[in-house]
Amino acid sequence: MSGKRSRGALPWAVLGLAVLLFLGWAAAPAGALYARLLPPSRLLMIAALVKLVYLLAGSAFAFACRDRLEADNPARPAWLLLSQGVLSMFAGQLCLAPFQVVNGETPFPSVADMFFVLAYPFLIASFLVFLNAYREAGFPIGSLAERVGIVAGVGAVGVLVALPLLRPVAATGGTLLERILNVAYPVLDLVLLLPLALLLRIALRLRGSHAGDVWAILLGGFFVLSVADVIFAHFQALGAAHLDPLVHASFILAYGLIAGGAHRQLQLLES
Amino acid sequence: MTTSEAVEVMVKAMAPYIGDTMARSATEAHCQRLGIAATMSRDQLEALLGKLGGGLNIFLGRDKAASVVAEVRAALAALEAPR
Repeated sequence: MSGKRSRGALPWAVLGLAVLLFLGWAAAPAGALYARLLPPSRLLMIAALVKLVYLLAGSAFAFACRDRLEADNPARPAWLLLSQGVLSMFAGQLCLAPFQVVNGETPFPSVADMFFVLAYPFLIASFLVFLNAYREAGFPIGSLAERVGIVAGVGAVGVLVALPLLRPVAATGGTLLERILNVAYPVLDLVLLLPLALLLRIALRLRGSHAGDVWAILLGGFFVLSVADVIFAHFQALGAAHLDPLVHASFILAYGLIAGGAHRQLQLLES
Repeated sequence: MTTSEAVEVMVKAMAPYIGDTMARSATEAHCQRLGIAATMSRDQLEALLGKLGGGLNIFLGRDKAASVVAEVRAALAALEAPR
């Protein structure tokens, strides 16, 4: 029992260490560890590989969840869409990885952005299908007025928070495509947050349970992804180089949580 | 068996998987939709278990959901047995 528990804790410990590595870089970039052993080029290589592993794992776990549900299970297409969305992000990261590993640089914009942007319709569709599945199964997801209220409230708060954060990003120089992408990612995250807010309402009712764990981890991952995109926009558009470690830490945490949530669901299906 | 007794049994069996709050609210919502009052008939019980099994199916898959429903049935049978 304790062996099983410790095996289960190991991936979380690895994720925690990976995130701490980059937070440490942010806190003490001139420290001995980072100055001698882990220069920025090596850290970029580590980040690229860790992200690839988590994205591939997340996509595979979500697909395995789809595979273990019966053909008529309404949640099955949702897991497939989630898998495809994460796979699209993996393809994007795969396009970046050779540049990051070999040259120690991240090209932007690049063909990778096509895959990163493509992930959003899959993810948004996935969450809508989950919501519909829960509604059809008779789970209380709130009246139409409640749902509209939640979406409107989250949308309004999101716009209020995002506007001051994105205004300087949009006003910077750079090519039109760079500016569009820098604003597009956080805006797409905001759209993603709307169905996520409805799922959060369900997740709160699931708290303290196996399914609650799944959704807490998954929703945490997508929330951190939104934060990561805002940090990335500032790093990229405003040349805020000191944010580079936080960009990697937040993306690694987001991808790790998404993979962890899908894995927890797979464990639930296999139990 | 009263509805409230049955609901408690169902909630207890489903809570580890979907949480006490969701288990209770889903069960009560289904009771309301099925017109179940203070006591429930055998047909109403079967209909309710069918609905709950369908809901659990989404989170657990068919086999696991069926085993949870079987667990509920066993607990209900134990409750109904002469005390």
